[in-house]
Amino acid sequence: MIESILLVDDESLFHLVFEDACSLLDISLTLECVNSADEAANMFRRLYETGDRKPECVFVDLNIIGSSFDGIELVRKINFEYGNHVVIGMISSSNEIDEQKKAQLAGAQFWIVKSDEIEPRLEEFKKDYSNYKNRSAKFKVYN
Amino acid sequence: MIADKKTRDILLNIKKDRGVYLEGNLLKLIKAEANDEEFEEYLQECIGRDKAVRVKRLDITKQVQKQNSTLIKNQEEITRINEELKTSLKLTEKTKCEAETAKETALNDLDLLQKKTQTELIGTIVKVALIVIVSVGVVSTGMYGLAIWKSKDTQIIGSAWSNMLSILLTNAFSIIGTIMGVKYATPDKTKNRRSR
Repeated sequence: MIESILLVDDESLFHLVFEDACSLLDISLTLECVNSADEAANMFRRLYETGDRKPECVFVDLNIIGSSFDGIELVRKINFEYGNHVVIGMISSSNEIDEQKKAQLAGAQFWIVKSDEIEPRLEEFKKDYSNYKNRSAKFKVYN
Repeated sequence: MIADKKTRDILLNIKKDRGVYLEGNLLKLIKAEANDEEFEEYLQECIGRDKAVRVKRLDITKQVQKQNSTLIKNQEEITRINEELKTSLKLTEKTKCEAETAKETALNDLDLLQKKTQTELIGTIVKVALIVIVSVGVVSTGMYGLAIWKSKDTQIIGSAWSNMLSILLTNAFSIIGTIMGVKYATPDKTKNRRSR
C-alpha cells in the first residue's frame, strides 16, 4: 500500500472520486489533494527546504485551471528542481501522445486517463506501483 | 498496529452505547489480537460500513461529476449556437441591406426609364403639334399670298389668315406651356423615396 499520495487537480469533485476509489482499492493510507500547481510547487519547495517527509506518490492533472503553469511543468519542477525521488505521474482526461511524450521527458512515470470508470486503471496502477518505486518500470499509459 | 485492551474496550462500548463505529484509514492500521474474535468482528463490521459509505459517496460523486460534465457541454453548445445565431443575424442584416440597395437601384432605373419614355412622348407631341401648326400656317399664308398675287379680294382671307395665325400661335404657346407644366408639376418620386 502506498503510504501517502498527493493529488494535484483543480476539479474538487475529482478529489472525492479519487479519494474514495483509492480507499476502496486499498491503494493508499493517506491522501492529500491540492487545487493548484503553485500550491503543490510551494509544498514541495517547503518540504525540500525543511527535509520533512514528502508524499510517496504524486498524481498531477495536465491542465490545472488557476495555476501559473501546467501539470507537466509541475512534474519537471518536482523532479529536477526539488530533487525528490517520489513516484510521479499524470492523471488527465487528455490522451494526446504529444503531451504524454512531453510528460515523459519531464520525468513522469505513468499517465492515467481520467474517465468515469477510474477504478480499473487505479487497480492496474496498484499492481505496477512497486516497479515505479524502484524505477524499473517504463512509462505506461493507463487508458 | 494491535489495539490494547483499554482501547478495544472503549471502541466496543462506544459501539454498544452510542452506535458509533470507527471509520476511515485508521481501520487499515488497527488490528485485533489473534484470539480476540469479538474485536476482529467489530473491525470487519467497521470496514464493511466504511466501504459501503464510500461506495455510496463515490456513486453520488460520479453522478454529480457526470451531470457537471453534461452541464458544461450544454453550456458550450449554447455558446456555440449563440455565436452561430449572431453570425446568421449579421449575415441577414447584410443581405437585407444589399436587397434594399438593389431595390433602390431598381426603382431609380424604373424612374429613369419612365422619365425617358415621358420625354420621348412629349418630344413626339411637340413635333406633331409644331408640324400641324406650321403646315396650317404655311397653307393659309400660301392661300393669302395667292389671293394677293391674283389681285383678288383679300378682305375675308386676310382677316381669316390673321385670326388663324394668332389662334395657331396661341395654341402653340398653350401646347408648350401645358407640356412644360406637366413636366415640372410631376412630383419627384426619387426625392420622396429618399426622405422615407
